[in-house]
Amino acid sequence: MISLRSIRALSCLLTLVLAACGGDARGRLVVYNAGSLARPLKAVLDTFARRQNVRIDQESAGSLESARKLTELGKIPDLIALADADVFPGYLVPAHVDGYVEFARNRMVIAFTDNSRGQSNITPLNWYSIITRSDVEVGRSDPDLDPNGYRTLMVWQLAERAYDIPRLAERMAARSPPRNVRPKEADLIGLLEAGEFDYIWSYESIAKAMKFHYILLGDSVDLSNEAMAEFYATAKVSVRGATAGSSVTFTGKPIMYAFAVPKNAPNPEIAGRFAAFLVSAEGQAILRREGLDAIAAPHVVGTRPVWAP
Amino acid sequence: MKSKLTHAVLSVFAALAASLLLLFLAAPIVKLVADAGGEGLTRLGSDAELRNSLLLTGITATTATLIGVLCGTPLAWLLARKRFPGRAILAALLDLPLLIPHPVAGIALLLLLGRDSAVGSRALEIGLRIVGSPLGIIAAMLFVSAPLFVSGAREAFAKVDARYEGVARTLGDSPWSAFHRVTLPLAGRGLLASAVVMWARAVSEFGAIVILTYNPKVASVLSYDRFTSFGLSEALPVAAALAILALVPLTLLRALRTDTRDDR
Repeated sequence: MISLRSIRALSCLLTLVLAACGGDARGRLVVYNAGSLARPLKAVLDTFARRQNVRIDQESAGSLESARKLTELGKIPDLIALADADVFPGYLVPAHVDGYVEFARNRMVIAFTDNSRGQSNITPLNWYSIITRSDVEVGRSDPDLDPNGYRTLMVWQLAERAYDIPRLAERMAARSPPRNVRPKEADLIGLLEAGEFDYIWSYESIAKAMKFHYILLGDSVDLSNEAMAEFYATAKVSVRGATAGSSVTFTGKPIMYAFAVPKNAPNPEIAGRFAAFLVSAEGQAILRREGLDAIAAPHVVGTRPVWAP
Repeated sequence: MKSKLTHAVLSVFAALAASLLLLFLAAPIVKLVADAGGEGLTRLGSDAELRNSLLLTGITATTATLIGVLCGTPLAWLLARKRFPGRAILAALLDLPLLIPHPVAGIALLLLLGRDSAVGSRALEIGLRIVGSPLGIIAAMLFVSAPLFVSGAREAFAKVDARYEGVARTLGDSPWSAFHRVTLPLAGRGLLASAVVMWARAVSEFGAIVILTYNPKVASVLSYDRFTSFGLSEALPVAAALAILALVPLTLLRALRTDTRDDR
């Protein structure tokens, strides 16, 4: 029989649930970001939230997955920050975004730990001979899903050309077969730590933040230097296109991170304030402290939006 | 009179509550199958990756379930029948895999089975790769779904009166044949139901699998992969095809179960 007490308990529970669902009085900022931006952006968001008394909801996913949340699921955040500025024109302009701000650089590196096979011998000059050793497992992310994944394949092509070693890309692929692929570069971290992989293809910002050892490959191949853009463009990677069976070719480019406030952002005013803080000297200093190479002059690409700092 | 009224009101409430839950559970699946079921079935013919993925899912989930049943049945019987120190703790520990977030479960398994671990390195020496292979998928499925079987099977054994076993023993049966001839048939329906739940849970697993084995892709991983690279229009047929195909074994097993009961 339903007792008075159980009804009371039930209504208490219901009240709690409703209270949890209702927003609190503070403003809210919903941020979707690329996995590799999770840590540096969180540091900036935390400082911002403390000062402005704003509640932050951060969702980290691969850049393409983050874009899909808007285009396919119709979920609109207040700010979206991605690991490849090209994803904006590719997916989000003009339906969701008119202009976006390029704000940080990065470089491709090979990250490893004290337990990695061959780590005592690896140097910026011989890295390609170490990671093609037959006892070594190299992890990488999925080129179809993640910018880091196709950038890895570009580095292979560039290295083969820059060092003039025939079939180098092929040999690197052999040590990094499909079973060593994971959806995005952040997924590789745990596998490197667990010793499943000896080396992972990653970003310098991640290697720094995770305190991994890493090899600087040189800016002729690591996609970090604007001045090398012409050589980077000789690398071409074909990945799956927007429909099954089709394909899209990505051309090598210096790595550039970008963010935007979507047109229908629920809290554009708070998002605008955060955008200004993110590109301020203080915001950039926090990003750099977290290992992300914030550029000195962040700039708008496309139509200049009202929220642009 | 008053109690009759209370009875009627309660019945209406019960029916309402049941219908609401049924609607809540059925509506998303019906919508999924209605929207993408036809496309999903068409894809079965044209999309080899989808076919392979569904086949892989079926094989790995069934293998995991068989292992779970084989090893979980004695464990469940022990927990239901025997009093031993630490039984309550053991039973609680068996529920733990259910509440561990699945990516964490994947990482825990990785530490146990990875190539630098004691188990993983021995396995590699004899040519068995766990992480990055179907074995990793089976391990992930087994970890997240076996506790469901054990807990269900334990209840099934507990419902069988231990005195029946006792009678069989007094009539000369060995403990094994008493178990085989008396307990197992009486608990059979419960065991089968638990195995079905375990299998279904294994089929749906994503979080732990994607840590251990992303390629080759099981249906849940393929559906995620299709969503991120192509969007909903490509992801839904995968999920719908999985739902339709999974309905076949689920219905068959449930029907089998009902028949057995009707025979009695």
